[in-house]
Amino acid sequence: MNMSVDLDQTPRSLLVCDWSSFLDDKNRVSSQVEQLHFNYKVSVLLPECSSAPAHLDSVLNSFSSFYLIRNLPIHELLDKQFLETAVYQGSVYGLSYRTRIDEDNCVALMPNGRLSLSLDKDSYQLLGVEGKPSRFSNRTNSRYVISIDLTDNSMAPGGRGYLRLLTGLMSRLHLTTDFLLSHHPGGGASLQPLLSRYDWSEHRPELHSHALTHLSCPELQSCDPHSFLEWLGAVDADISCENSSISFLSSLVCPEPKTTLSRVLRVSICGLLLPQDVHRLIQEIRCYLEQPQLESWLSLTVHGFVDSPVSWGGREHGVLRGGENFYTLLMFHDHTYHLHLATGAHDTCPP
Amino acid sequence: MRHRCVKPVGNRERRRRRQEAGSELEFKTHVCCCVSVFCCCRRVCSAKMDEALVRTRIPQDLEKVLGVESQTNAKAAAFTKAFLKKSIQQNSRHDLDGMLSHKAVILGYSRPKKDKVKRNSKRAKGLNARQKRAMKVFQIKPEHQRYELFLPLHELWKQYIIDLCNGLKPTSSPQFVQQKLLKADFHGAIITVVRSKCPSYVGTTGILVQEFKHVFKIITKEDKLKVIPKRNSVFAVEVNGFVSHIYGSRFEQRASERSAKKFKVRGTIDL
Repeated sequence: MNMSVDLDQTPRSLLVCDWSSFLDDKNRVSSQVEQLHFNYKVSVLLPECSSAPAHLDSVLNSFSSFYLIRNLPIHELLDKQFLETAVYQGSVYGLSYRTRIDEDNCVALMPNGRLSLSLDKDSYQLLGVEGKPSRFSNRTNSRYVISIDLTDNSMAPGGRGYLRLLTGLMSRLHLTTDFLLSHHPGGGASLQPLLSRYDWSEHRPELHSHALTHLSCPELQSCDPHSFLEWLGAVDADISCENSSISFLSSLVCPEPKTTLSRVLRVSICGLLLPQDVHRLIQEIRCYLEQPQLESWLSLTVHGFVDSPVSWGGREHGVLRGGENFYTLLMFHDHTYHLHLATGAHDTCPP
Repeated sequence: MRHRCVKPVGNRERRRRRQEAGSELEFKTHVCCCVSVFCCCRRVCSAKMDEALVRTRIPQDLEKVLGVESQTNAKAAAFTKAFLKKSIQQNSRHDLDGMLSHKAVILGYSRPKKDKVKRNSKRAKGLNARQKRAMKVFQIKPEHQRYELFLPLHELWKQYIIDLCNGLKPTSSPQFVQQKLLKADFHGAIITVVRSKCPSYVGTTGILVQEFKHVFKIITKEDKLKVIPKRNSVFAVEVNGFVSHIYGSRFEQRASERSAKKFKVRGTIDL
């Protein structure tokens, strides 16, 4: 049998590993956490723990809530009042929801005031605002990326660029999507003028916890990052790593040498999560790790939105198969950490 | 008389000559007896009055001062001839007598060009393309690039389209209107770029003042004359509520040629 050629070759994926310590002045954890703006899911793996400690639980429960607006016309993001109360006064996280980056028009409003529009060719030709062809569409440019700094002088209400974009969005390209919105530190109050005009709902990040028992676990200090991430993914997705002879569902095995953990707690939280909250969680986990315990490690994985037009630091993101962009922070009790930043094929290199 | 040089002379050469002439004039006032000078004077002083001055005898009192004596005319002429013969380089190739007796001829630098365009007397041909370009017949002067100047043209065009479409009532079918518009003239229409491969053209709107094979020239409300390529753009024309979209890539003909052209329905309308 001759397999098709592209099945033999897997698309490129990027993995950046960073081994350092929180005590090191030059550690870049906080900047790396900040740069992934749109986090969809945070999952924490706590070994030798049956229920989440109280202060971790309280941090997880205090993740800020976010808003979902149905059928928001994108020109509302250029509304003068919204710009003044929300965009100029802090950081707004906005992302189009239920749009697919490889076929629909996607919009992201980044906390630094940049509006990123990833448009298909027809919409781009209608809008009439200068953009760049997507890096990931090959010779036939079928996708364009427009990046606009809303804090720029020309984009001030009444300015040339502002009026051009506004007339484009209002009269030529009627772009409406469901939109996820969150604001730091104002929360809902600063978004209220915008929300009140449309059909909106407030959402709390969803918290799930799952206890696992008798889990085989690789030796973390020596394990190679690829097999570690594979094992972690299998644990996260509840896939058995037994590789027993009677089951052909999964042939994954836990990398050798391995130990067995009697109980493991897996906590995950889903929603539009702010990097600030993730940062707070990391600080809390560091405090938790300082307590003397049986196992002295903990892993935290943060997944970015698959269909976000941007990934690390506002760089273009695309989806080829999975569109994954995530990082895993493996922390030890001596304040050292392993940070693995990974992206799929259609993405730029993480910082 | 000497030849006048017909070729353009350089500055340095000209300056040198002027100095020469000046020195000659000085000599003339002294009425020197030196024959070489005399000869120079002869050479230069083409005017008759100068010649007369040269041929005058030196006054008696000057003769004493200078210690020279004027010769008779015949003697002087003989001396001059002999002196010239001696001092001019002996060159067998040149005919010396011919050179000395040549007359100055002023030659023009170039002949005035004849008008090459032959006019056909039977039929007035008008101007050709080059002449039109040189005269800028089809260029609108900056002072005439005003939107309100073209508004009457737009009114005329609207009337023309309404007449063309038999009144253009809201009940008339869009297909019929479009069939008519396809062959119509668009000068004076208000057109808007609604879609383009180049984003900066999108949204431009104005009165179409000139149509060429590949471009539209429109005048915008801001009194700017804009040239917009037809290729890779879609234009919208609005008349009495009927909005028609023109795919510029399929419209690349001159207005006059389009009226006789059959449009093909096949092919893509993608930009």
